[in-house]
Amino acid sequence: MSGAALAHVIVSGLATGCIYALMALSLVIIYNATRTLNFAQGEMLMISTFVAWSVQRALGLPLLVTLLVAVAAAAGLAFALERLVVRRAIGATHWDVLIITLGFSLMLQAGAGLVWTHDQFPFPSFFSNRPVALGPVRMAPASLGIIGASLAIMLTLAALFRWTRLGRAMRAVAQNQRAARLMGISVERVYSLAWVLAAVVGAIAGVLVAPVIFLSSKMGLLVINGFTAAVLGGFGSMPGAVLGGMLLGVLENLAPLYLPTSIRYSVPFVVLIGILLVRPAGLLGRVERRKV
Amino acid sequence: MRPRWPLAALGALVAAWPWLAPRYFVFLASVMLVNAVVAIGLNLLSGYTNQLSFGHAGFLAIGAYTAALLTIHAPALPVVVALAAAGVVTAAVGLAFGVPCLRLSGLYLAMATLAFGFVIGEVILNLDALTHGADGLRVPAARLGAWPLATDTARYYLVAAVAALLVAAALNLAHTRTGRALLAIRESEIAAQASGVPVARYKTIAFGVSAFYTGVAGGLFAFVVGFLSPDAFDVFLSVDFVVMIIVGGLGSVPGSIVGAAVVTVLHDSLAAFQGYRPLIFGAILVACMLFMPGGITSAARALARR
Repeated sequence: MSGAALAHVIVSGLATGCIYALMALSLVIIYNATRTLNFAQGEMLMISTFVAWSVQRALGLPLLVTLLVAVAAAAGLAFALERLVVRRAIGATHWDVLIITLGFSLMLQAGAGLVWTHDQFPFPSFFSNRPVALGPVRMAPASLGIIGASLAIMLTLAALFRWTRLGRAMRAVAQNQRAARLMGISVERVYSLAWVLAAVVGAIAGVLVAPVIFLSSKMGLLVINGFTAAVLGGFGSMPGAVLGGMLLGVLENLAPLYLPTSIRYSVPFVVLIGILLVRPAGLLGRVERRKV
Repeated sequence: MRPRWPLAALGALVAAWPWLAPRYFVFLASVMLVNAVVAIGLNLLSGYTNQLSFGHAGFLAIGAYTAALLTIHAPALPVVVALAAAGVVTAAVGLAFGVPCLRLSGLYLAMATLAFGFVIGEVILNLDALTHGADGLRVPAARLGAWPLATDTARYYLVAAVAALLVAAALNLAHTRTGRALLAIRESEIAAQASGVPVARYKTIAFGVSAFYTGVAGGLFAFVVGFLSPDAFDVFLSVDFVVMIIVGGLGSVPGSIVGAAVVTVLHDSLAAFQGYRPLIFGAILVACMLFMPGGITSAARALARR
């Protein structure tokens, strides 16, 4: 295989990886704040993309406004779910909340099927189909666009967590909830904001990926790839989530080129198990030592 | 001493079920008991030693295919041997996978087991010389000595007998050294370690026993359903097993059975609602955990205390 073709495959792998990374970041944002694994993250992405698509078709909005609609829909949905249900689960363990989010995911997927059917729909793209030639390497503008947009979101998130009051509050809650509360941080507000922020990141990922994989009620399955990416990088670590996503995306795109069909789909998982056996807390994660 | 009559009543109901219920419900009861055995096995792992597994459909598949292939290639083999072999093979795989996984905990173990389930599915799909891949495998009737167990009722009694044995074993486990060690680990892993319980060894044992239970259940599943295909053992089945033990109650044998019964019956009775089925099932899950945190057993315990 020529170097140029290989570069093409790696770039599209990185684009897939960016989507996985955004999905992983959504999971990690909620997990860090609330210690909850949100099973419904993928379905929330799917719903916001569907809502944006419907509004776009009804009103003929420009794509940028459609993106804003998706973000608003996701934020509203996440806020409602957290405020109206998850927060009322008083005395529930993390296990119970896990089942609650699983319930959400079943309900959202079935709901989407009832409203929009389980068919696939094309989704308008920000980027043209004409390949761009960079020297000898030809690349899809969609791949480059996804990578660029994702990097912009990741940098924004990094800045948010580093320099804003909200980001500092979220990091404080992630480290020690009780101490954060004693410092005057409203932990409840951080919970809400974490859900909203995660949903917004997911909504952008949804609008970016829908033109590539089509819009359908099955889109929510991305949550499994996102979870894999987050674990691979070290659950709770944001750079880890990005690294894990990229690695998984490239691996998935390269595996079909070199491996027979029979083991193609297993390889990412076998690699994952192998990495976990060597680094039990993922690539960038640290093994937590709990004090008594 | 706890009163024995509820247990006796339950035993009588299980024994008389084929005379009380129409044929379909006999089949459904078999499926429910198979699920209960898996749930008990999973609960031994997740409820007691805090090792979450999203890969038990993979263990179930190993048991099912082992029993089915043994029965196809050695038709004279008694069903008890086929089931025991299913359990032992699955336990061996479970130990081989579980020992290296001792280093993993929480979400990392959940991910590793999820990956394990995927890989097992792919292996079954691609070993088509043995498993017929995606075409699926017809399972011949199990034989008990000279009698083929060819009716739903016969298969039901096989499942009920094996399940009763495994439930009794799980209940009595609490009174053994291993059981006490597992209970100590459930309460606090650190305290157990400090009291001299070799945590790593008992976590490994839990992995093996859990896989054994699931493997035997897999064998029963093969005979009850009569047809195996890899897509029956997907990740959603693994998630269902996790739902059973959390809804029923973590770390409790009766809880596992109740959880398995509730999930099996819900899936079956909601089938008529077609597109609305997952919507209703999801809503029930949310309501269940909102109003009964800790699952049905802890809600029942709270009610009894009042």
